[in-house]
Amino acid sequence: MDARRISVVLAMVVMYIAVPLLLGSNLYVMSLLVASIAIGGVALAWALLGNLGGMVSFGHAAFFGVGSYVSALLTMKLGVPVFAAMLLGGVGAAVASIAMLPTLRLKGPYFALAILAYAQIFRILATEWKSVTGGSGGLSSIPRLPEIAGFDFGSKIGNYLVIVSIVLIFALIYQRIRASHYGTALRAMHDSEDATRVVGVNSTLLKAMMLFVSAFMTGVIGAFNAHYINFLEPDYGFSGLWSTLPIVAAIFGGYRTILGPVIGAVFVYLVDQLVFKSFIPSGHQIMLGALLAGMVLFSPTGLLPWIVEKFKRSRNAPA
Amino acid sequence: MTELIFQAIYSGLLQGGSYALIALGLALVFGTMKVINLAHGELVLLAAYIAYAVESAFNVSPIVAIPVALVVVCISALLVYLLVDRIKKDRELNSLILTYGIGVMITNAILLIWKADIRSTKSAWLQDAVVLGPFYSMRSELGFFILSLVLMGLLWWWLSKSWYGRAVRAVASNRDAAKLMGINPRTTEIVSFVVAGILAAFAGVALYSYGVIQPPLGHALTVKAFIITVLAGVGSIPGVLAGALLLGVVEALTVTLLSSALQEIAGMGLFLLVLFVMPNGLFGTAARRG
Amino acid sequence: MLQLENVTVRFGGVTAVDNLTLSIGASEVTGLVGPNGAGKTTLFNAISGLVRPGAGRIVFNAVDVLNAPVYRRARLGLGRTFQVPQPLSRLTVRENLLVAQRFGTGSVNASRLDEILDFVGLTEKAGRDASSELALSELKALEVGKALATNPKLLLLDEVLAGLETTGKRRFMQMLKDMHAKFGVGILIIEHDIETISNLCKRVVVLNFGELIADGAPDEVFRDAEVIKSYTGAEHA
Repeated sequence: MDARRISVVLAMVVMYIAVPLLLGSNLYVMSLLVASIAIGGVALAWALLGNLGGMVSFGHAAFFGVGSYVSALLTMKLGVPVFAAMLLGGVGAAVASIAMLPTLRLKGPYFALAILAYAQIFRILATEWKSVTGGSGGLSSIPRLPEIAGFDFGSKIGNYLVIVSIVLIFALIYQRIRASHYGTALRAMHDSEDATRVVGVNSTLLKAMMLFVSAFMTGVIGAFNAHYINFLEPDYGFSGLWSTLPIVAAIFGGYRTILGPVIGAVFVYLVDQLVFKSFIPSGHQIMLGALLAGMVLFSPTGLLPWIVEKFKRSRNAPA
Repeated sequence: MTELIFQAIYSGLLQGGSYALIALGLALVFGTMKVINLAHGELVLLAAYIAYAVESAFNVSPIVAIPVALVVVCISALLVYLLVDRIKKDRELNSLILTYGIGVMITNAILLIWKADIRSTKSAWLQDAVVLGPFYSMRSELGFFILSLVLMGLLWWWLSKSWYGRAVRAVASNRDAAKLMGINPRTTEIVSFVVAGILAAFAGVALYSYGVIQPPLGHALTVKAFIITVLAGVGSIPGVLAGALLLGVVEALTVTLLSSALQEIAGMGLFLLVLFVMPNGLFGTAARRG
Repeated sequence: MLQLENVTVRFGGVTAVDNLTLSIGASEVTGLVGPNGAGKTTLFNAISGLVRPGAGRIVFNAVDVLNAPVYRRARLGLGRTFQVPQPLSRLTVRENLLVAQRFGTGSVNASRLDEILDFVGLTEKAGRDASSELALSELKALEVGKALATNPKLLLLDEVLAGLETTGKRRFMQMLKDMHAKFGVGILIIEHDIETISNLCKRVVVLNFGELIADGAPDEVFRDAEVIKSYTGAEHA
């Protein structure tokens, strides 16, 4: 077995066996882990859109919120099983992203601004469409994850295993897309879009696909979150935090890598919750803003890749 | 009903004056630097909160705060410029992320200093009614609308007549050619940020003088400014003014005829319509498409 | 194979291509000449779909492609190169051809890909980064290779020979001749050098100010007084 395989197996053992065994009884730590990995999933979806699709989104809160509402409402009003509803939540978010398709014709800053505007619309819709969403009062007692074959997915460890698996599957999907011919064409599209089009690449369709995939992933995570905390209101489900945190996490961990955003999310979320929030209870996002601005200025390709690079260089340097 | 509709149109037009100032600032910076300042709405909001702070600390009219707002907002705009200027790689995308981060910082700084409560002016004088024929407005609404028209007139004069103004226009239309003509793009970039700051300061004090403010508003203002530039198509002053007035009127009509909560959606609806039907904007032919 | 009927392209007040009617037959090599600003590249952009004509019809192999998007025209068999080479960035030379083949033809055929690499002389550079590690002549070869990989029926070559030194140019010319024979592809080539055109083409079309001013065999066309006037007039201006 090569080193790469060993590290993969080790990571799986840690994630699926060691963490639940060692930390499973500590409810506070487990809740921090679940929340941070969920944000890691959104960060991964954000980075997929940025890295493969070449689009910077400031509106992933829209997908997160739509996914959470669709799944919550399907389980509560139509009695759809939770896991099926979560998938449909992702589908709902992907459908919502269709509304954003006209913006794909816009370049760079215009796309970013348009998607920023869209995020607001969905929040207002959720607030105003009272008969369905319950309005600003929100939805409570959203069904938790079920018990299947004697294992309670709704327990802290169950929730943890579900979100870890979701994010792992997403990482695999991301990896497969990146390694495919579509991934190669997408890589070229950033700086030479006309050149890719004249060899037969339907660049708008490919970008739209990346938007769908990213929206779907974010929607599923939003849905998971709704069943995890069992409560939803528009200001929470569509909170700007679901846009900001993943961006900070992805930039921090390196948005051109697959797992960087996830690792970045765990780190940034823990620091935000344990450090920033204890100093500045309301308005702790000011630190996230500062962190984001600082990173873009000093290491736009990510802090984690930068640290790894430094580490490698110091090890390889002649003594 | 007809009276209500006419009144809504009138109020919307007055509101459009401040919107135009905000959108012009955004467009000006985009013109010279090809950077969208996502913190622009937050700069406007900062001016509004300075008006609130001055009013409540010294018990004076918010209008007195204009010089303070000018100084603080222009310095903040310069700081934003200095930071954006440090970005050398992938400037278009990285500057978006940077200014987004700065916007988050300003919003939360406002939240920390002035709390999340909704604020509005206590000045009775500003809120006094002015009746023009069948139309009613607050003194502050009409006053600031006229002031915004004057500012736009000055801006137009400056851009077309003064040397700096022409340099700004030259850089916006062709950076390399401007360089050959001996214009330093850096200077024009700084000037455009400062002018955007001046417009933002006036708009912010205006917003506080006739409306209500709260921390999340900055974000919404950036979005509105963007919608206006899409409506306008190109960065011409009359185009932006027309787009701003249109947005103001559509919002006011939505509030009157439907519900105040749908105000934001009205602007978005307009935006989508233009995007689908007239991708080059209502008043322009500039190519934005990829 | 390619019919243009009354094609007109305007940019603001400038008419870049003016009411142009032209027909290009299957597997012939046609030269497209004219002074700078005559609208040659704009015509290529209109044919490949990068600009939309204000009026006219463009029919390729009996398909009206006027409203077809760029990628569909490529899949129908319209290949093109750019005057300033546009390699697919962040990809290797081989990946450039791979993307062109996969998306231009719908499937991957590795042996044919190698054949094209060899034909354009880039086998040794297959693993290099296309946008940073190639010399100009190699970039030009890559332009042709990319276009060939889409399996085109008609190839629009935009000044592929410009900027090459004499031996490179001679090799490239030979390659273009072989290409016509080997891949059975029709060629429409923009080129300034009259000698090259005469050597390569049996037919030449002359554009000036967006209008077609001459069409025929090279030796006839280049004797035409109007052509000489437009050409030399512009060259010396």
